Amino acid sequence: MTDYKTSGDKIPLFLPHSSASTALNKTGSWRYVRPFYDEKTSPCSAACPAGQDIARIEMLVSQNLITQAWETILEENPFPAVCGRVCFHNCESACNRAQMDDPVAIHHLERFLGDAAISSKETPKIKTLPDNGKKVAIAGSGPAGLGAAYFLARLGFCCEVFEAQDEPGGILRWGIPTYRLPQEVLDKEINRIEKLGVTIHCRTPITAETLESFQTQYDAVFIACGYGRSIDLKIEGAQKAINGLQFLFNIRGQHEVSLKAKSTAAVIGGGNTAIDVARTLVRLGVNPIIVYRRRRQDMPAFDPELQMALKEGVKLKELLTPIRIEDAGNDSANRQSPHVVTLQKMKVSTTEIEGRARVIPNGDKTETLQIDYIFTAIGAEPADPWHNLVSDKHPSLSFSHCRIVNSNVPIAYGGDLTNRVKSVADAITSGKQAAIALDTYFKSGCDAVTEAVSGCQVGKGPIVSMAMYLDRKRKDRNPHIVSYSEINTHYFRSVPRTIAPVLSPHDRRQSFLPVEYTLSKEAALEESRRCFNCGVCNACDYCRLYCPEMSVIVENAGRSIDLDYCKGCGLCVTECPRNAMALKEEDI
Amino acid sequence: MRQVAEGSQAVSEAVRLAKVQVIAAYPITPQTHIVEVISEFCSNGTLNARFICVESEHSAMAAIIGAASSGVRTFTATSSHGLAYMHELLHWASGARLPLVMANVNRALGPGWNIWLDQTDSLSQRDTGWIQLYCEDSQDVLDTTLMAYRLAESVNLPVMVVLDAFFLSHTYEPVDVPDQEPVDKFLPPYSPRFQLDTGNPGAFNQFVAPHAYMEMRYNIQTAMEQVPENYARIAQEFETVFGRHHSLAEAVRCEDAEIIFVTAGTTVSTCRQAVERLRAQGEKAGLLKLKMFRPFPVDYCRRVLSGKQKVAVVDRNCSFGASGIFAQELRAALYHAESPPQIFGYIAGLGGRDVTPETIEDIYRQTENADKARTENIWIGLDQETVESWRN
Repeated sequence: MTDYKTSGDKIPLFLPHSSASTALNKTGSWRYVRPFYDEKTSPCSAACPAGQDIARIEMLVSQNLITQAWETILEENPFPAVCGRVCFHNCESACNRAQMDDPVAIHHLERFLGDAAISSKETPKIKTLPDNGKKVAIAGSGPAGLGAAYFLARLGFCCEVFEAQDEPGGILRWGIPTYRLPQEVLDKEINRIEKLGVTIHCRTPITAETLESFQTQYDAVFIACGYGRSIDLKIEGAQKAINGLQFLFNIRGQHEVSLKAKSTAAVIGGGNTAIDVARTLVRLGVNPIIVYRRRRQDMPAFDPELQMALKEGVKLKELLTPIRIEDAGNDSANRQSPHVVTLQKMKVSTTEIEGRARVIPNGDKTETLQIDYIFTAIGAEPADPWHNLVSDKHPSLSFSHCRIVNSNVPIAYGGDLTNRVKSVADAITSGKQAAIALDTYFKSGCDAVTEAVSGCQVGKGPIVSMAMYLDRKRKDRNPHIVSYSEINTHYFRSVPRTIAPVLSPHDRRQSFLPVEYTLSKEAALEESRRCFNCGVCNACDYCRLYCPEMSVIVENAGRSIDLDYCKGCGLCVTECPRNAMALKEEDI
Repeated sequence: MRQVAEGSQAVSEAVRLAKVQVIAAYPITPQTHIVEVISEFCSNGTLNARFICVESEHSAMAAIIGAASSGVRTFTATSSHGLAYMHELLHWASGARLPLVMANVNRALGPGWNIWLDQTDSLSQRDTGWIQLYCEDSQDVLDTTLMAYRLAESVNLPVMVVLDAFFLSHTYEPVDVPDQEPVDKFLPPYSPRFQLDTGNPGAFNQFVAPHAYMEMRYNIQTAMEQVPENYARIAQEFETVFGRHHSLAEAVRCEDAEIIFVTAGTTVSTCRQAVERLRAQGEKAGLLKLKMFRPFPVDYCRRVLSGKQKVAVVDRNCSFGASGIFAQELRAALYHAESPPQIFGYIAGLGGRDVTPETIEDIYRQTENADKARTENIWIGLDQETVESWRN
């Protein structure tokens, strides 16, 4: 025997070593908590009035799956190119990324995808059901009516849309100026709806009488005539004012509009129509002043639009309300501006109405404004009394964005007639909610409708999702809305938000060209990578990389946990950058 | 090339010259300079190694255990609480027979919170199966670190290179930093005796039942017993290449000495000076420097100390309820020696308190005047007023 102590030779090592597989030791039996893939709801998707699956859409863009991305939008919204331009993007206000640097530019991405869908030759692969033999008449071809037609057609209904004007689109065509929404974009998105088999009858106004006859010819009716009539000023000299909405209609319809160059105009109102009128006037060489009875922060207009308007040269006067419009008289000094508007000064009261400051006259203080034109944009109302809900003589079901009256046939009311927020995206959701309600009505009866609608609400909020109605996968998602504190921010570094190129204010004043450009594909891909993809697995694979037991199995692009070996350490859940996993206690 | 360098940098230079492949470390005062310089070597390409940043010393040790298991040369450095935090894995490293090298800067453990010299951190790891080598000056640090790799790889046991906080880690001294070529000659690339290999899958260090566990432990003990012999051979080779010799212990003027100091670390240098001063006064003083603590150089100590009258051990540590740890070890080593000396234990310089030549002379006088050694240690330099106040 060698004396290793003194020989200098190396002593044979006696070490535990085995070539047998450790698979024998099923360490899963040690576990008392179990990880699982638990996709949750992103705050943007819960805030989106159209219920779009935004976290997933941005994930698809980041993976350069552009077609799948716009198809995912089309599951919930037939108008991505429109909404990418005109939606006021609640989603971005809710974006968790805002707490790290800036929100993801979701509306730029939506616009990019909407345009990509338009220019694509592919027929979108979106879920549709076979013809169910039911016919629906739809009154109005605005975003609510066309939205309803789109979703009902996908659910197998035969849809006919009736429109009073020469062309379909409603407020999208007549109320939104072309610098925000070019006509060809709208036409192409409407065309996609028609390709689903929807028939649009233009120049066919619906009257109370035709509504009666519809109830014998159709299985259901959807009424989405919008607020077709502007509210008039009820002051002395009101007849001298021009209706703002009619003005926009005339401009879009390329009717003769003659305004004096370098003239001045007062635009009365604080909503989006007032802004649109003012910005249109700027482009016609008129110098507009928006006159609003409350303060800037109280304006219902979307602030980015107002900011654009101010940059283009629109002036704003706050806390003033017109009480009288008079002729300026004939003396030569006043010949240029024929009207004098007397404005009552207002002040803020301490009480609030619906969260907005209430304003009251500030004593009898007034000021006058000598001006060429006065435009009104102080709101709108239904054009015909029957557009409003019929009396309660029939039982009805009320939802956040529509109301179904059980007359001879079910009659659904939607769009501005029922929506608290009068926006394009809310109008689209109104059509979607009505489509889900009507489909359930015919499939399972009136009593099943409420449960069906609430069963596809995004994040338990009011907004419904068609994907959740038709497809289990999104429905199975946890309604919990992911908060910033639940994001593993170690995985993200600060990256500036992409800014889409815009025309200079000077160029904007010269024409009705679109103000903003669509992002390039490279810019869109880069911006999409800023998205945390809150609650949605984007296959980043950190769960698998960190698993000390190699218990994360990737198969057919899906992930699962090998519970034979998972010890329940929870590393995968902790590491998941986007809270798409969770732990639950084992039943012991 | 001769440089003026800190003890910390001497470690870093040795790690560079040893061509270590994986470093994992967590910073702690007074170890930080060591890993700072190494991280610079890694980032500027001077050292082609992977530096793994970790969140704790426990992870640092785990990381180099993993790296060494795959057959690469590794390094880490720590101190005090960091070393204590590694404790579990220190046992694992030796049990797994991995030739790790670690620098530990001797620092006091809290509380009270104290960053200065104290040996208790490393000495309380004496049962973890690590070889421990204590250094006297910066040259000793550099040379010991290079030898540590040879030693560790010869017996498949980890080595802890120990240097005093600040007195050594942060003091600039002239150091001869050798060229790469002679180092490569002395220390060839690591050739692992076993390693994880994806081409030949297998597991190390799994479950072992009572029928085999004891033999594995005996295998470690056998390797440990081989260390003094291996060390002597490696030190000889080192001298051949570099012209410097560092034996596992060193006897200074012990032949005719009546009182012999035994100590380790920078205190050795202080004792060297004290011995010269005492000799100048006609006193027969001697010194035994302990470089190796684990395994304890029993044979060397017996050879030098048998037949002597008195030994004064200067411990900058304390095993509470027992005594200074070097004193304990020495008593155990000499118990079966022929005509063992009387062993006087002194505890001095804890938590960075100065141990000066005068302190050593005081210890000499106390030893000289005592008839018989006591089992309990004598604490040097305590504030008598404070201590007395406890008795009232």
